[in-house]
Amino acid sequence: MIKKSCYVLILLFIYNVNAQDYKFGKVSKEELKEKIYTKDSSASASVLYRDVDVSYRYIQSSGFEVIKEVFERVKIYNKEGFDYATISEKLYQGNGDSESFSSLKAYTYNLEEGEIIKTKLKNSDIFKEELSKYYDEEKFTMPNLKEGSVIEYQYKVTSPFSYSIDEIEMQYDIPIKKQKVKVSIPEYYSFKTNMKGYLSMIPKKTTKSGKINFSTKNRSSGSGLRSGSQTTFSNSSIDYITNIHTYDMQDMPALKDEPYTNNIDNYRASINYEIQFVKFPNNPTKSYATTWESVAKTIYESTNFGNQIGYRKYFKKDLEQLLLDKNTDEEKITAIFSFVQDRMNFNSYIGKYTDEGVKEAYKKQSGSVADINLMLIAMLKEAGLKANPVLVSTRDNGVPLFPTREGYNYVIASVELNGQNILMDACNKYTEPNLLPTSALNWSGRIIKEDGSSESIPIVPEKLSKKETFLNVNLLENGDISGKQRERYMFYNAYLFRNKNNSVSEDDYLDKKENNNGGLEISNYNVKNKKVLGKPIVESFDFELESQADVIGDKIYMSPLLFHAEDENPFKLEKRNYPVDFVFPRSNRYVINITIPEGYKISYIPGTMNIALPDKMGRFTYQLVAKNNQIHVLSDVKINRAIFPATDYFALKEFYKNIVEKQTEQIVLSKIK
Amino acid sequence: MRLLYLLIPFFSISQDLDFSIKSIDEKLLNDTNAVVRLDEMKINILASDRLAYTICKVVTVLNKKADENSITSVSYDKETKIRDLGVFVYNAEGGEIEKIKKKEFKDYSAADGFSLYTDNRMLYHKYTPITYPYTIAVKYTIETTDTAFFPPWYFIPNYLTSIEKSYLEIRYQDLDLKPDVKEFNLDNLLLEKSDDANSIIYKAKNILPIRFETLGPSFRDIVPRLAFRMKKFNLKGEEAHVEDWRDMGFWMNEALLKNREILEPETIKQVKELVVGVDDNLEKARIVYKYVQENTRYISVQIGIGGWKPISAIEVDKVKYGDCKGLSNYTYALLKAVDVPSYYTIISAGKRKVDLDKDFSRLQGNHAILAIPYKDDYYWIDCTSQIHPFGFLGDFTDDRLALVVTPEGGKLVKTVAYLNEENYQKTSAKYSIEENGSIYGEVKMQTGGIQYDNRFSIETKSKEDITTYYKDYWDNINNLQIENIEFSNDTQEVMFEENISIKATDYASKSGNRMLFEINAFNNNSFVPDRYRNRKMPLEIQRGYLDKDEFKVQLPKDYKLEALPQTIKIENEFGQYSASYEHDASTNIIFYSRELFIKSGRYSKEKYSNYRSFRKSIAKNDNAKVVLIEESK
Repeated sequence: MIKKSCYVLILLFIYNVNAQDYKFGKVSKEELKEKIYTKDSSASASVLYRDVDVSYRYIQSSGFEVIKEVFERVKIYNKEGFDYATISEKLYQGNGDSESFSSLKAYTYNLEEGEIIKTKLKNSDIFKEELSKYYDEEKFTMPNLKEGSVIEYQYKVTSPFSYSIDEIEMQYDIPIKKQKVKVSIPEYYSFKTNMKGYLSMIPKKTTKSGKINFSTKNRSSGSGLRSGSQTTFSNSSIDYITNIHTYDMQDMPALKDEPYTNNIDNYRASINYEIQFVKFPNNPTKSYATTWESVAKTIYESTNFGNQIGYRKYFKKDLEQLLLDKNTDEEKITAIFSFVQDRMNFNSYIGKYTDEGVKEAYKKQSGSVADINLMLIAMLKEAGLKANPVLVSTRDNGVPLFPTREGYNYVIASVELNGQNILMDACNKYTEPNLLPTSALNWSGRIIKEDGSSESIPIVPEKLSKKETFLNVNLLENGDISGKQRERYMFYNAYLFRNKNNSVSEDDYLDKKENNNGGLEISNYNVKNKKVLGKPIVESFDFELESQADVIGDKIYMSPLLFHAEDENPFKLEKRNYPVDFVFPRSNRYVINITIPEGYKISYIPGTMNIALPDKMGRFTYQLVAKNNQIHVLSDVKINRAIFPATDYFALKEFYKNIVEKQTEQIVLSKIK
Repeated sequence: MRLLYLLIPFFSISQDLDFSIKSIDEKLLNDTNAVVRLDEMKINILASDRLAYTICKVVTVLNKKADENSITSVSYDKETKIRDLGVFVYNAEGGEIEKIKKKEFKDYSAADGFSLYTDNRMLYHKYTPITYPYTIAVKYTIETTDTAFFPPWYFIPNYLTSIEKSYLEIRYQDLDLKPDVKEFNLDNLLLEKSDDANSIIYKAKNILPIRFETLGPSFRDIVPRLAFRMKKFNLKGEEAHVEDWRDMGFWMNEALLKNREILEPETIKQVKELVVGVDDNLEKARIVYKYVQENTRYISVQIGIGGWKPISAIEVDKVKYGDCKGLSNYTYALLKAVDVPSYYTIISAGKRKVDLDKDFSRLQGNHAILAIPYKDDYYWIDCTSQIHPFGFLGDFTDDRLALVVTPEGGKLVKTVAYLNEENYQKTSAKYSIEENGSIYGEVKMQTGGIQYDNRFSIETKSKEDITTYYKDYWDNINNLQIENIEFSNDTQEVMFEENISIKATDYASKSGNRMLFEINAFNNNSFVPDRYRNRKMPLEIQRGYLDKDEFKVQLPKDYKLEALPQTIKIENEFGQYSASYEHDASTNIIFYSRELFIKSGRYSKEKYSNYRSFRKSIAKNDNAKVVLIEESK
């Protein structure tokens, strides 16, 4: 007996020591005294506790509404963390309904001379800003903030859009020590849960019963002797089950961005509740998009999408004219694509639905992504080709992981030729069939057939985009060089060149090129195919450049690739969590001939190198050959894949380290005595 | 009045104007992205608190680079109304192709990107060009009760833009309302001017484009422009009569600052306790500034007159945040509570030094700081910074005329300047090169003046950011690893010290049995300004600096020195550069010392290429290599 009570005491004691009070207002001195977040000392702030409660409430006049209650307790360690004391919440409005923000309660806590001092956020310091037609924003910043402060705020967002629950972020840019997220949904609503990110999130599932009370008014007419009418009130009620998901999580690390990442939000831990169907008693089931298949179908059936492909009359005459002398499918595709690309001007509105509609856009010669590409599809179809729309999510929009209509924000065209799908986007003046803007290269898209069925197709370029550079160089005794350069830009390299430089005057372009290459002086500049799509851009010029070699004593030292040497490793971080995104596979090849000055001999040239990344993902070839007074240099870097998983990071980093090391190795010339 | 508006047709420019591209004078088409066909502003001053102006701007856009003209954005607020807004687009032949009405504009919050909240809004429209060239015409009328900010007039709106016709007209009911005009850079302009009892008119024709050039004066310093002021003006309901800067100070005291400094007795008691036993005003100010820095932060909220009037000290004391005005006024209030005089000060902040216009008092500037008079001098503090040392402004507000609001009215005073050698950096390092080419080093850097300002905030950054910073700072060292970092910040002397140890593999590159490395490992300056085939602007170096470097380099055991770079010393009007190398064979150590001194100043455009050659020599010498050769065993 005695022993037992001892245990109880000890347990109680331990429990008390570890107990943190997560009720609003119960901020402890320990929390205020905390100097750093021990698990990540670089954190400028951390969320000590977070509670998000999503639930449904029945309102007799309007039905169910969704209530999101948020409570967060945040610790500010230093001034860098002050940004986390400004909080904003976006509120959606549409179809005459709008979300509302209420019950905000917020305090800042500081420790002053051992005492906890509370400062309340005043209502007059809360701001509401109209962001756009669809969104308002509530914003506030905490009063009396200092290094070491703890802040607490709680508020409620009420939404009439009961079929939609906002994606819940489970990871912030600062660490979260402990969080509890509870989502309670009445049985009438069926949601599917989708998880994103690299952290595991398993909910505890429970149920609870609920009751809806109705009061119904009945009016009965009198009969017989008693005339007049009588009103009675009857109360009825319905019992229903609420399904509850509870996520209890601890020590969520901060999400940190890294270079060469597609879009960091793709890796943020979050849960998405995706509506499947709604079924009320005595009502038919109302189904919502549940699979990518049905998402695509819903989008396709919209008047601003599928119908737009149906309109044909507005271009009929022009198309007939265009196709007069076109016989093969290939010719037709090229002709129609070029026609739309030339005629139409992209107004920068991105979206999968048409903006002003294809007809109006055609007339104005300008339009949104959907205006232009759905028009392209319609014309291809009219020409008897098998063309279909492909829904895409742009890089900014993130990789679409769960089927929602918002998952896709862009549409391109696909046409079948010899059993292959050719992808096209006519919004950019320099795209080509199977060459899409880089913003649209985002893993995969969804092609929708005429019958509304759809399937996923990859949108990752596989073809190598090459760049080839040929140089003929004369090295002078003082270390200056002169010579000729010829450079060929192919495929994506040509596309990027055109987008970047075609609207710039040649003088500006050359000024920039000269200044970016340490004072290169260019003459006899010539460029071919700047506007001829499908062909490589060929640039050639004569140049002079000072001090490309070090003349030290009776020796000359120079880097074989001259001003083209890769002298910095792009991968500087020690380790990496996310995939490395090169956007497209690429190769850089240099062939350089150096003629050394008279009176000098070659006393050293760097040796050959031939290294590869695992699985043929990349290769570096480097070779120097000396012959009489000439040195021939060949350097070739191939990156055969657009995207590398994080597990390949170390190999990539080593690969580049070797390239830099090799390319900076010097040639040594010495004076003939 | 109303009715009249209705009778005026929706749009009424251009009937007699030819907007076809053919009609543009050939001269105006060289080196330009856009030709302004007509830039017209007609201002009507109805009263000291009523102003209406009509803008009509017609621009032919020649290429994509001038596409900013396809955007029309007009801002407004409670005091300002936009009327008769319309945009017309014409093709190359001058035929109308599109008409955009006010209701097609989007209405946005004019969020400035740093304010928590602002009540300014704007109407916005973007036209999508279908071919080039095209001509876009914008017309609207603004009616406002705010006459404090009279719209300025720029004869050239932008770089690489030529102007066919520029027309400015100001009408006033009586001479009492006639505004003062200040002209800037009008020398090379073909100008017609008239000035009478009812109107002021400026007309200019065929203005050739100017181009941006690096290290040149700022746009506003070279471009022909006009500034206006009304001596009697109205700012969000506050009336003013201001003849000079002295009056401006009086008015600000009265209209914007009066009673804003009142504090709760409790706060006054607290701040008095802070300085108990301290007599010297400067010491007191130091303590109060430190208190403000530790207890407040910068948050901007701009509502109504709040753009000029600080939130009250009581309010700031409660929430412990404010914008530049609120925090300056709060600090002023705290200082007043401990009997230290200080003056609210208006300034144009930014890396570029911009003076308030001497002898032309009007509401100007974009920032507020505090001036503390002490022994015939001023000490300046920026209360929006939580980290700057007391009395140190840095390059955001240094060396420029600011309006100091004293009880005796306003005064224009130049803020503290940081001159040439005061902006110093001293780097001393010991490093070794290993047989495998690796480098190990210990570096000490001390900075002062503007160089201090560039550096000291690194201390407040996260570990990752600090590491990234040094990897960028020493991007000449590949595979750099930061081993240890120590900072010390002497806020009294305003000197920052960084002690860093580093290592990196393959710093020296090998060529057979030789090894080469750049001896200037830690202060490699490769800056060479752009080359211009035909430089048009003078050369301007806003701030000078002095770098001194001493490195002691231990060479690897089995290598001996084969070649050292030549000792060099260059001296010219821009400054001085020197580098020397000394090898001690017994210890196999090289002593490297370097000095780079750049003077601030303005030089003629002909001097630009000399300066460029100077920088080229510096860059070349900073890259100079030492060659080692393996000793045969």
